[in-house]
Amino acid sequence: MLEKRLLVVSGKGGVGKSAVAAALAQLATRHGKRVLVIDMGESAGLSAHLGVTDLEFTPREVRPDLHAMRLVRSDSLIEYLTLQLSIRGLSRLGGLARAFDALATAAPAVREIISIGKVLWEVREQNWDLVIADAPPTGQLGSYLRAPLSIAELVPTGRIQRQAAWMGDTLANPAVTNVILVNLAEELPTTETNQTLEWLERNDLVPEPTIVTNRLVSALAVKARGEGPVKEAALHHQAVYAEQQHWLERLTPDVSLPYLFGLLTPSEVAARLSEEFEAHL
Amino acid sequence: MTKAILVTGAGGVGKTTVSAALGVKSARLGQRTLVLTVDPARRLASALGVGDELGSEPEPHPDEPNLWAAMLDASLSWRSVATRHADPDVADRLVNNEFFLAASQHFPASQSYAAADQAATFVEAGAWDIVVVDTPPSAGGIDFFTAPAQMADLVGGRLLRWLTGGPLPGRFLYRRAGRPVLRIADSILGSDLLERVAEFLLDLRTTYDGVADRGRQIEALMGRATILVVTTADPAPVTEAARFYRELPAIGGQPAAVIFNRSLPEEWIGFKPPENVARELVENLQRWGAESLRQSDARTEFAAVNHAHVSSIPWQPEPPNDLDGLAGLISSAASMPASVLDPGEI
Repeated sequence: MLEKRLLVVSGKGGVGKSAVAAALAQLATRHGKRVLVIDMGESAGLSAHLGVTDLEFTPREVRPDLHAMRLVRSDSLIEYLTLQLSIRGLSRLGGLARAFDALATAAPAVREIISIGKVLWEVREQNWDLVIADAPPTGQLGSYLRAPLSIAELVPTGRIQRQAAWMGDTLANPAVTNVILVNLAEELPTTETNQTLEWLERNDLVPEPTIVTNRLVSALAVKARGEGPVKEAALHHQAVYAEQQHWLERLTPDVSLPYLFGLLTPSEVAARLSEEFEAHL
Repeated sequence: MTKAILVTGAGGVGKTTVSAALGVKSARLGQRTLVLTVDPARRLASALGVGDELGSEPEPHPDEPNLWAAMLDASLSWRSVATRHADPDVADRLVNNEFFLAASQHFPASQSYAAADQAATFVEAGAWDIVVVDTPPSAGGIDFFTAPAQMADLVGGRLLRWLTGGPLPGRFLYRRAGRPVLRIADSILGSDLLERVAEFLLDLRTTYDGVADRGRQIEALMGRATILVVTTADPAPVTEAARFYRELPAIGGQPAAVIFNRSLPEEWIGFKPPENVARELVENLQRWGAESLRQSDARTEFAAVNHAHVSSIPWQPEPPNDLDGLAGLISSAASMPASVLDPGEI
């Protein structure tokens, strides 16, 4: 994973996607990489796991060699317009950006191309050894990965159309891109992850994804015995374990991460998961 | 008058199970009860007596008097908007339009709108004492409440006014000439994309009066409903649950209670096991005791921060799969407000 240039981390909401993105960023930094991690959503998840209060559109070094930013669509568009069209004058750009944002609710793929385009632009500019995207949840992932192709189909001419081509190529290049799907060994996440895998295979837009299954408990070494809370907790653990084993049979992970018990801060969670990834390398 | 109970919350927290359980409990209190659910697991569908044929028409339960169940069809989405509120030829253009298809995927509020519309229809029918609505989880669920206004806004068209350069048009008035901003947009997007979007929006605009009127009716019904927020103690669904408390008051709603589902027993916290217990079992209890403490802290914090009435449903090794199991889930809940299932209490 660390040999790629772009990691796109997705998963069903609530599976620990942002924690995994933050953990991978820390791991890569420990291995001497200069890393940019991008929060593509609107949750505060990534910043909490990085141990900072907020992220902005301008990347900021949250620890040595680890830079982080939050993707804001209107900022991304203004940057794009400034770079591409040499338009100056924020007032005019601001109005245009707002209008594009409204357009994005009706025109397919415009919203997605503005977001994924910024991520791919950062990969192309080579300011970083590795870009990690804390991407939208799996329910929306397809429309982001397909955005370059959708634009190419929808818009016969224009500048975006030409750029869509290299964006699609970057996503499809196995030497550059790795999609990481974070999963839980539970019914709804596993079903959704399997659906996403089928969709990805059918559409063939990105190399084969890596499956990371989070929050796995290990088997209890002894039988549930005794009475009261001792026995109840043992039965509870066995029920959780049995349920997880059932869903692991339906989707085998490439990387297994443990259940972290008790009161940990989000940045402690990310640090612990990053050690787990280290053990997998 | 029919009382509506809207059960909201993030996906995967057991919202559908809690909705079904509330329905069974209500029916057993002698109230004519309809449960409206979205995509139930097979075991729940059969417990509710809707078997494999999940229809959108309410079916009486074969074994439980007073209980009806039906599915909300979220896939109806914009198609129903077009067919109900547009002229037939316009509706035909709309449903076959590439932007329409994209918009229904990209605009999750359209699914929520369709679901809210169907739910409101059953509440208005007046045939039940209580209608329990398992709301669809799109975009965290808050969408269900904001969808009517969002739809009217999109259909009413700030974007359209901008594209056409003025208040509203007869037929076609997309004016590129003289509007530098549109020329720039064209150079990026290619000529005619905006023109096609404008054409689509002009068709959609014809549904505005219908959508806006219906939206106001739906909002009025929601304003009178009892809202329950379901969550687990995991950080992601708790964050979603807090959004309801933060954002609902602004649109005229207030959750009656938050229900922490799958709560571990508090007796596990700091429990001193007897001397002769195997070390693995003691450590196991300590780990889950720490989890129970984390959950308990999450509930206490939620109550304090959001001024919320907090109820909890204990974790069960097997999810309930029959009527008694479902009713038992509500009976086992701690601090469930008694008024929730009281039809007089609206």
